[in-house]
Amino acid sequence: MDELKQQLKEMVINDLKLQEISPKDINDNDALFGDGLGLDSLDAVELVVLIQKTFGVQIEDMEEGQKAFASIQALAEFIEERKAN
Amino acid sequence: MSNLKHRKKTRTIIRQLLERLEWLGHQIFYVVIIIGGQSGAYLLLLPVTFVYVLFSRKIHKQTSFYLQKKFPTLGLGQAWLATFKIVQSFGQILIDRAWLGIKKDAVLQGKEEGIDQLEKILEKKEGLILLTAHVGNWQTAISHICQLPAQINSLMHYEEEAVAKHYFDLKGQGCPFKIINTEGFMGGMVEATSALQRGEVVTIMGDRLEGGQHVEVEFLGSIIRLPISAYVLAACTGASIGIVFAAKTGKKSYSLRVWNVLKIDSKERSNRMSEIKKSAQIFAKSLEDYLMEYPYQWYNFYDYWNNA
Repeated sequence: MDELKQQLKEMVINDLKLQEISPKDINDNDALFGDGLGLDSLDAVELVVLIQKTFGVQIEDMEEGQKAFASIQALAEFIEERKAN
Repeated sequence: MSNLKHRKKTRTIIRQLLERLEWLGHQIFYVVIIIGGQSGAYLLLLPVTFVYVLFSRKIHKQTSFYLQKKFPTLGLGQAWLATFKIVQSFGQILIDRAWLGIKKDAVLQGKEEGIDQLEKILEKKEGLILLTAHVGNWQTAISHICQLPAQINSLMHYEEEAVAKHYFDLKGQGCPFKIINTEGFMGGMVEATSALQRGEVVTIMGDRLEGGQHVEVEFLGSIIRLPISAYVLAACTGASIGIVFAAKTGKKSYSLRVWNVLKIDSKERSNRMSEIKKSAQIFAKSLEDYLMEYPYQWYNFYDYWNNA
């Protein structure tokens, strides 16, 4: 799980081109959107596509998106749960 | 302080009264449609539009922004007539929407152009964004694209309790397409992305900026700002964009035309914005071309150029 969380943090920083931030600056439970990392709805589009391409996991709708994108911790749990099924 | 409270209370009462009058107006038209059909409602619409355009200074202000760009040399009388035509066409579109919902035998005859291009895209299962605008009878025409061989999703602000009902709400048969409510998580963008990844269709209104990221393009001689969400969706998912506008062409007929098909190849963030700007300019040009043919079917009643 820790390895996956690290991978997700690196992916968010590198693929969404976040400036002046490193993986260790992101807490596992920081909100990805809004007040946390400050990602917006267009970043969400990229993230959905990246997760599908990287992990083969599809985020189907708003409910799943809201749950999965709560934080890095939530996203890692969501991916692991999906891959296990 | 009490004076302020009194004014606030008065404003609330006036607002509630206007809301009730609006509701009553819609109910009267619904009854007329039941009794007299589309023709009866059109007949009632004429004096209603005339009185409204005659006495409302607000509507002239609202249409003036567009008319000054579209027809810069219009005289006062011509501008009055143009406003009348716009309000009349808008009223007819609302009537058609209600008529299709209320009357079981109501049907509009459509002339569709370029739909085969969209079918070819859908065969590849790459997803398709139908980008449209607040012009013509889009809401009615969308029901006719449901025959496309894929699930249709509409990214829209949807209020079940709205006074002006959608035709499918009035029909009570459920919506023929799936609504992705923009009021939901991330403005519905997560759900729209998933739909495109499944090779489905997502319809988006591309002409109004309601916050968020945008690009500047030229439209009718001046700069406007357009939202970029549709283009980002296309760039990230590899979906194509079909620029589609509908128009009311007769009492019981409409036209639904594919004005352009775009593909944004740039998946890299670094050069994405320039590609998006090019695509948004094509959208604006398509809208100009549409307005050459249907100048009185423009329904953005505000200073459209003032957000630049």
